[in-house]
Amino acid sequence: MLKATLRSFLAHKGRLALSALAVVLSVAFVAGSLIFSDTVARTFDRLFASTAADVTVQPKRDLMAARASGAVQTLPASLRDEVARVDGVAAARADVQVQNLVVVDRHNRSISPTNGAPTLAGSWYPTRRSPVELTSGHAPRGPDEALLDADTAGRRKVRIGDTLTVQAQPGTFRVRVVGIASFTTTNSGAALLYLDPAVAGRRLLGSAARATGISVDAARGVSDERLAHRVVAALGTRAATYDVRTADQQAKSAAAALGTFLDVVKYVMLGFAGVALLVGVFLIVNTFSMLIAQRTRELGLLRALGADRRQVRRSVLTEALLLGLVGSTLGLAAGIGLAFGLIGLMRAFGMNLGAAQMVIGWGTPVAAYVVGLGVTFVAAYLPARRAAAVSPMAALADAEVAGAGKPLRARAIAGALVGAVGAAALAGCAAATRTGPAAALLGAGVALTLIATVVAGPLLVRPVIRVLGAGFPALFGAVGVMSRRNALRNPRRTGATAAALMVGLALVGGMSVASASMSASFDQQIDKRLGADFTVQNANFTPFTRQIADRVAATRGAGLVVAQRLTRIAVRLPDGGRVETGAAGYGPGLDDVVHMSYARGGSAAALADGHLALDAGFARDHGVRLGSVLPVEFPGGRRAGLTVGALTEQSATGGFGDQGGVFLGLGTLERYAPGGQDSALYVNAAPGTATKELRPRLERALKPFPQVQVRDQSDYKQLVHDQIGVLLYLVYALLGLAIVIAVLGVVNTLALSVVERTREIGLLRAIGLGRRQLRRMIRLESVVISVFGAVLGLALGLVWGVCMQRVLALRGLTAFAIPWGTIVAVVVGSALVGVVAAALPALRASRMNVLAAIAHE
Amino acid sequence: MSTSAAAQHAPGRAPGEGTAARARGLTKAYGAGETAVLALDSVDVDVARGRFTAVMGPSGSGKSTLMHCLAGLDTVSAGQVWLGETEITGLRERELTRLRRDRIGFMFQSFNLIPTLTAAENITLPMDIAGREPDQAWLDQVIDTLGLGGRLGHRPSQLSGGQQQRVACARALASRPELIFADEPTGNLDSRAGLEVLGFLRGAVDDLGQTVVMVTHDPGAAAHSDLVLFLADGRLVDELARPTAERVLERMKRLDGERAERLDDTRGPGAARED
Repeated sequence: MLKATLRSFLAHKGRLALSALAVVLSVAFVAGSLIFSDTVARTFDRLFASTAADVTVQPKRDLMAARASGAVQTLPASLRDEVARVDGVAAARADVQVQNLVVVDRHNRSISPTNGAPTLAGSWYPTRRSPVELTSGHAPRGPDEALLDADTAGRRKVRIGDTLTVQAQPGTFRVRVVGIASFTTTNSGAALLYLDPAVAGRRLLGSAARATGISVDAARGVSDERLAHRVVAALGTRAATYDVRTADQQAKSAAAALGTFLDVVKYVMLGFAGVALLVGVFLIVNTFSMLIAQRTRELGLLRALGADRRQVRRSVLTEALLLGLVGSTLGLAAGIGLAFGLIGLMRAFGMNLGAAQMVIGWGTPVAAYVVGLGVTFVAAYLPARRAAAVSPMAALADAEVAGAGKPLRARAIAGALVGAVGAAALAGCAAATRTGPAAALLGAGVALTLIATVVAGPLLVRPVIRVLGAGFPALFGAVGVMSRRNALRNPRRTGATAAALMVGLALVGGMSVASASMSASFDQQIDKRLGADFTVQNANFTPFTRQIADRVAATRGAGLVVAQRLTRIAVRLPDGGRVETGAAGYGPGLDDVVHMSYARGGSAAALADGHLALDAGFARDHGVRLGSVLPVEFPGGRRAGLTVGALTEQSATGGFGDQGGVFLGLGTLERYAPGGQDSALYVNAAPGTATKELRPRLERALKPFPQVQVRDQSDYKQLVHDQIGVLLYLVYALLGLAIVIAVLGVVNTLALSVVERTREIGLLRAIGLGRRQLRRMIRLESVVISVFGAVLGLALGLVWGVCMQRVLALRGLTAFAIPWGTIVAVVVGSALVGVVAAALPALRASRMNVLAAIAHE
Repeated sequence: MSTSAAAQHAPGRAPGEGTAARARGLTKAYGAGETAVLALDSVDVDVARGRFTAVMGPSGSGKSTLMHCLAGLDTVSAGQVWLGETEITGLRERELTRLRRDRIGFMFQSFNLIPTLTAAENITLPMDIAGREPDQAWLDQVIDTLGLGGRLGHRPSQLSGGQQQRVACARALASRPELIFADEPTGNLDSRAGLEVLGFLRGAVDDLGQTVVMVTHDPGAAAHSDLVLFLADGRLVDELARPTAERVLERMKRLDGERAERLDDTRGPGAARED
C-alpha cells in the first residue's frame, strides 16, 4: 500500500507542486519571521549586554514620556560624586544622552536617519563598553567639536572638518566634526553625535549641573547586584525617584523597548503567514479533492482488490503528509532566504546587522514542520474521507467526476446557520454603543461570515456566474456560452477555487472601506475644527525645538501663533479607575485656530491655570463632572489636582490609544511637565496680510529647520491621508500574497479541467474550433471564476467595512466612504488574474493533438 | 440482414458528378527508421460526390488513418489529398481548422457531443464557432428528418445513445458540408439504434444529396453503402459496389485468408496487391 501511495505521489507531482508552493509560502513566512526576530533579538541582547555599565542610575521612568513631549528627564550631575564614594565603585561617570534634537548640515539638510530611528547626542566617554570606537580624527575637546558615527557620516557625506548645526533644546549651536567613530557592534540605525563631556550638559541639557544618568563600574570582586544594593542604600530615600539597574537588568529593559518594534515586524510577518496559510488550505483541499475525483476508478480498483476503507484513507493522508514534509522543508529553506532578505532590508534602513550571525533557534524548524504538516493534514482530511467512501463498484462504472452532481443541501444548511449567526454578530456590532463589545462582535462576525461564505460559496456559483457571464453569449458567441457553462459545471470546484481569491479580497475590501471612511472622517473634522491658516509640524508628529515657534512669531505678517505640546499623564478617576493617556497643552488664543465644541464651559475655562478639559462622554462614563478635581500624575513624578473647567463634545479623540481627549493650558502643562517641545504650531496671518503672502515668508524663515513643514488645510489633509495610506500599503501587500496563491489555485483547477475535458477539447478541435478560440474559451472561464471570487470577496468586505466603520464611529469617526476607485480596480485586477492564470492551461489545451485527444480514455 | 435495403438504395442513382475527395500516393508512417510502421502505403482513392462510401478492414488496417488524413485531422508523410478542388496537404493548422469547420461534417463512435450544450446548440456549434447564421429551413428539414424535434432543449446526458448519435448526425449535416466522415458511428449502439442511424446516413445521401464516408468493421453497416473499399495493411486491396452483408462478409474472409498466406510467405506487408 505504501508503495502504491509513493507511486501515486510521484505520478501527480506536477499537480502537487502547486499545493506544495502554497505550503512553502506559508512556512517560509513563519520561519522567516522567527529567524529574523531571533537573530535581531540575539544581536541586540549581545549589544546591550556588552555595552551596559555594571550599574546605572537613571531618573525613574514612570510614564512613557520621552518621545511624545520632547522633554528630557534628568538627575543632578553631583549625584556622580555621591555614587563614586560608595564602597566597591571603581569609577562613576555622569552621562548625558538626549534625542530631542536635530542636526543639520550646511545645506540645511537634516542628517537624521530617514527611518524614524533617533538622533542621539551625548558625552564622549570611550570605554571598553562603548558601541563605537574612534577610527579617525581625535576626541572632541571644548564646546565647538564633535564626533559623528561613521555610518551617518558615510550616508550624509559628512567629512572631518565639516560644520554641523545642532538644534538642541537649550539652543542652537555649531560644531566642527573632528573625528569619526565606527561601530564595533551592531548599528541599531540611530545617528550618533558625541560632544566633550565637559560641555555636553550645558549644550544639550542647558545646565552643566544636570545629567541623564550615572554609569558605574564595579571594583574587582564586587558583583553587580551587590553594588546596586549599596548604591540604593547610599541614595537613601531618594532611591525611590531613581532606577538603579545592573547590567543585566539594563540590557533586559533596553531589549524590552526594542522588543515592541520587533513584535510589530513579527506580527506583520505572521499576518502574511496567516493569509498564506488560509489561502493555501483552500488550494490543498482543492488539489486533493480533484486528485481523488480523477482517481475514483483507481481507488475503486484498490477497494475491489481488497484494500479496506482505512487503508485508502491512510494512503491519501500519507500522500498529504509527504507533501507537507516536502513543502515544510522547502519552506524552511525559503524562510532562511526571507530572513536574509529582511536583514538586508534593515541594512537599507540603517540597522546594520552585518556582523551578526543568523540565529535559527530550535523553535523555528519545529514551528515550520508543525505548520506545514498540520495544514496539509487538516486540508487533506476531508478529501481523504471522501476517497475512503469510494465504492469498489466505481472501478467498473464509467468515470464521471465525483462530487459534481451531489446535492449541496448539507452545505446550504451549514452555510445558512453559520451565516445567520455571523450576520447577527455583525448586526450587533453595528448597533453597539460601546467600543469594546462592538469590536468583539465585529471579530466574531467577520470570522463567521467568512466561514459561511466559504461553505456556501458553491451554492452562489450558479446565480452569480449566470449574471456575471450574462454578456458572454452576445460578446463571444459559442465560445462564450461554453466557457460560462464550464464555469458552472462543477460548482464545488468553482466555489473552492474562487474562495482563495475571495478571502484575500474580502480583507482588502473591508480595510479599504474602513480607511476611506477614516480619511473622510478626518477630512470632515479638519474642515470643521481646524481654523488656522497654517500648521507647522512634521510628518511623524515628533516634537521640535521651541526656537521654531519664536521664528514663526517673528515672521513678518504672522499673527496669532498657538503652540501645541503633548505629554503623557495618568488620571485618577472618581470611579476608581486610573487612566494613562496622552494630553495636549495649548497656548492662549485656541478659539481662533481650532473650533472646539463644548458641552459645558469654554476654552477660557479649559485653559485656565490649574484646569483641564475632558470629553463629555468620557466624563459621563467615569462619573466626572464640571468642577471635579482630578488627581493627575505627570512624568517625573509631579502630581497635581486639576479642576475640570470644560467638557467638550469632540467627535474624535486625539491619537490612537488616547482616551478622554484631555487638554489643558500650556502654562499648566509647563508647570508640571517642564522642558517639553512643541509638536505643532497653529499660525494665522496677521490682519492685513494675505495667507498667500505669508506662506513663502514662513517657508523662508523655517529653511534652517528641515524637521518641520508649513501646511495649509489641504496639505494637512494630505498628510493625514498619507498616514492612513501606510496602513493600506500593508493591506495591499497582503493582497498581493493572497493573489499569488489564488492564482496558483486557479491554474490548478484549470489544468485539471483541461485534462478532464481532453476528449471534449479534441472533439471541438475536430469540428473546427480554432486554437485561439479554444484558448479564449479557457481564458473566459478563468476570468469568470476569478471575478466571481472578487465579487463575493468585495461584497463580504463591504459588509465588514460598514461594520468597521460603525466601530470607528463610536470613536467619533462618523463619516462613511466607499473607495469606488479601489473596488473597480480590484474587479479589473481580478479579471487580469484570471487571464494570467489561464495562460498555461490554455496553451496546454491548444497544443493537444486532436486525434490523441479524441481517443483519450 | 439488409440485402434488400442495400439493393434498393444502390442502383438507379447516377454516379455523383466528380469526386468529393481524392488522394494520390497517400502514405502515412508512424515513427522513423527501423521501427517505422506504415499505416498507409501509397494509397490512391477517389470519393465520389453524392455517394455513400464505406471503408472496411481489420483492426490496424489503416482505415481510421485514411479517414483522418482525408478529413485533414492528421498530417500525411507523403502524397497528396484534395477536398473538392482544394489540396489540403500543405495547408496550415489554421486553414485546416477552418476547412473542417466549414466544409466537413464529423460523426465519431462515441463522445460526439459537448456535455454542457443542449442538442440544438450542439447541432449548430460549427456554425456558431464560425459566427455564421444557420440556414433555418435546411436546419428544420434535418431536424425533422432525424426526428429530433422534441429533444432540442435536452442535454446529451438526458439523451439515449441512439439519440446522441442522431444529434451528432444532425450536426454533421447542419452546415451542409461537402463531405461527412463517420467513424464507426454505430459502434456503441444496440442493433436497432444502429440501424436507425445508418438509415439516416443513407437518407442523407439519397434525399439530401450529401456525400458520406463511413469507417466500419461491421459488414451489416457497410451493406448500407453504395461502395465498400477494403483496406489491409495500409493498402487498398479491394472494392465492392452494391454490397450486401453476405458479400461483404465473404470478401472479408477471403481477404483474411489471403493476408494470412501472404504473411506466411513474405513476413510482412508490402506484397503486391491482388485484384
